[in-house]
Amino acid sequence: MEMINLTIDGIPVRVAKGATVMEAAKTIGIDIPALCYLKDVNEVGACRICVVEVERARSLQASCVLPAAEGMVVHTESPSVIAARKEILRLILDNHPNDCLTCDKAGECKLQEYAYRYDVKFREHDGDRKTARIDTSNPYIYRDDSKCILCGRCVSICGQIQERSILGFGNRGFTTHIIADNEKALGESACVSCGRCISVCPVGALLDNRIIGKARAWEAQKEEVKCKRCDYGCDFELLKKDDKVVGVRAKAPGGGRPLCLKGKLSLDLLYTNSPSAPLIKKDGEYTEVTWAEALEMEDLLKKLGQSNNL
Amino acid sequence: MVNLTINGIQFQAETGLTILQAARTQGIYIPTLCHDERLVAHGACRICVVEVKGARALMPSCSTPAAEGMVIETQSPTVVEARKEILRLMIENHPLDCLTCEKSGNCTLQNLCYEYDIKEGGFNGKKKNYPIDDSNPFFTYDPNKCILCGRCVRVDNELQCTGAINFIERGFNTHVGVAGDREFDDSVCVSCGNCVSVCPVGALMPKQPEKFRYWDIEKVRTTCSYCGVGCQMDLLVKNNKVVGVEPIDMEPNNGLLCVKGKFGYKFLNHPDRLRTPLIRKDGVLKEASWDEAMNLIASKIKDFKKESGPEAFGALSSARCTNEENYLMQKLFRAVIGTNNVDHCARL
Repeated sequence: MEMINLTIDGIPVRVAKGATVMEAAKTIGIDIPALCYLKDVNEVGACRICVVEVERARSLQASCVLPAAEGMVVHTESPSVIAARKEILRLILDNHPNDCLTCDKAGECKLQEYAYRYDVKFREHDGDRKTARIDTSNPYIYRDDSKCILCGRCVSICGQIQERSILGFGNRGFTTHIIADNEKALGESACVSCGRCISVCPVGALLDNRIIGKARAWEAQKEEVKCKRCDYGCDFELLKKDDKVVGVRAKAPGGGRPLCLKGKLSLDLLYTNSPSAPLIKKDGEYTEVTWAEALEMEDLLKKLGQSNNL
Repeated sequence: MVNLTINGIQFQAETGLTILQAARTQGIYIPTLCHDERLVAHGACRICVVEVKGARALMPSCSTPAAEGMVIETQSPTVVEARKEILRLMIENHPLDCLTCEKSGNCTLQNLCYEYDIKEGGFNGKKKNYPIDDSNPFFTYDPNKCILCGRCVRVDNELQCTGAINFIERGFNTHVGVAGDREFDDSVCVSCGNCVSVCPVGALMPKQPEKFRYWDIEKVRTTCSYCGVGCQMDLLVKNNKVVGVEPIDMEPNNGLLCVKGKFGYKFLNHPDRLRTPLIRKDGVLKEASWDEAMNLIASKIKDFKKESGPEAFGALSSARCTNEENYLMQKLFRAVIGTNNVDHCARL
């Protein structure tokens, strides 16, 4: 394997050819901030928070998509890098609600993490702001457009499943926002509520509607579980408060499998202390149904019932 | 005993309890902000109000004695609306700074706003604007975040008994400060940090050796090693580094600490700190294991005892050790080595 030698923050690093500067930095324990970057899902260099200074380069470079090159000399926290990151954060915050007081993402929010790390606060301004557009049409996914930072992670992960590809970017410039199908409410779109988008959203724009208000990120104990509904075993997370499971949320798809609502509901029923009733779409409307129907086990239960009678 | 009904649950409570204390015996939750079991009930914040049947107004449960036959509701619509209004008024005059506030994740005001879904005040009123007092070497004081619960004032005057801080001025201008409205450094404050430990919001915050968020730390329970009292405390640990100390409300310190216990932990991560025993070999001190060091001490004691007798030994122990450790030390010297030459640095 061809190896590349470079220097990051004065430390010599040796990585395989093809690795990005961000990956190279990670091998020596340097954590470069990333908002839009998500390995194998979204590698687009959109948010620019990961910029680094490369000696003799014309401008700051996005380290998440910059391949490490022989002899490169990189600075990840130089004054110009920090100034750029602060400015990026200020611009994002200028168009983001000051809502950490009650936001369900607080404590797990990447924007909050980096604003704290670089000491950037909300500022007063009389410029335009996005208007709050909260979409609660889907009972499983809470969508608040005003918190979206347009990183594109949700669009990418939704687009990885060809028959889904519900989410996309709509409009241009300041009015750019995430749309479902052709600007439909999520509940009216072809969305199957798999929760892939929720699992990757770095901010509070996409949340699991069934756990909102149940526990703050810092008071919930988390336990990872595998879904056993099918052979792929997607990763889910139990949220516990006072030793009671208050919710189950999708964490990551299993290899080759997309995450699905049936899996999520099965785990909800299996683990949650008092799970909310399941809803499935019938004639375009979300309707409350029995667990047997939601989990498609009616036939099986009927058969079991008959065999009991024998 | 008195007979009470809270939220439809009938029970008997001991005479002399407040409604809050009686409710807690039944595991009934009532939110509090200014309340502290160790302090005289203050009834300042009103977040603990409950509905008592037949009473003229909502009653603060922290300071209302439970009386015979009381019928109480702790979560009725009137109570919830009153609590929401109190939170709206508090948050109206509080910086919306949770994004970067060091207290975030450990803030009672934040927790209650989440519980009652209060996002803002909505009154468009005036906000406090005081300078931040950074003069004390161990903590900072931001009066703009203060909600005037008075816990700091009361812990200072009732338990610590220093009397350094109190309320100043009246009405909207009320704020907590030291005598003459000067800076902390220019007062009788002894920097015990007990006001910092009880502050429910981010007004009194310890100066930290490095930035951290409450959700990123691990708490490790330990006993303070500075003196023989044995105060119980939690070390706040981030990446195996101590970044803060919080007292625990149990015997013997009941949630209090002194300046050393609260703030004197920075030596823990100091590069000059000895981490292993050192044994002098060829005139140079070299790192050694505990087994090596103990074996060396034991063999030297044996040699000296054989050579000069037990009276050649003397032991001096420390007030920083516990009674048990001091007992063991004198036992070792009297029973094993055989001398009464035992003394203690605190005898003078």
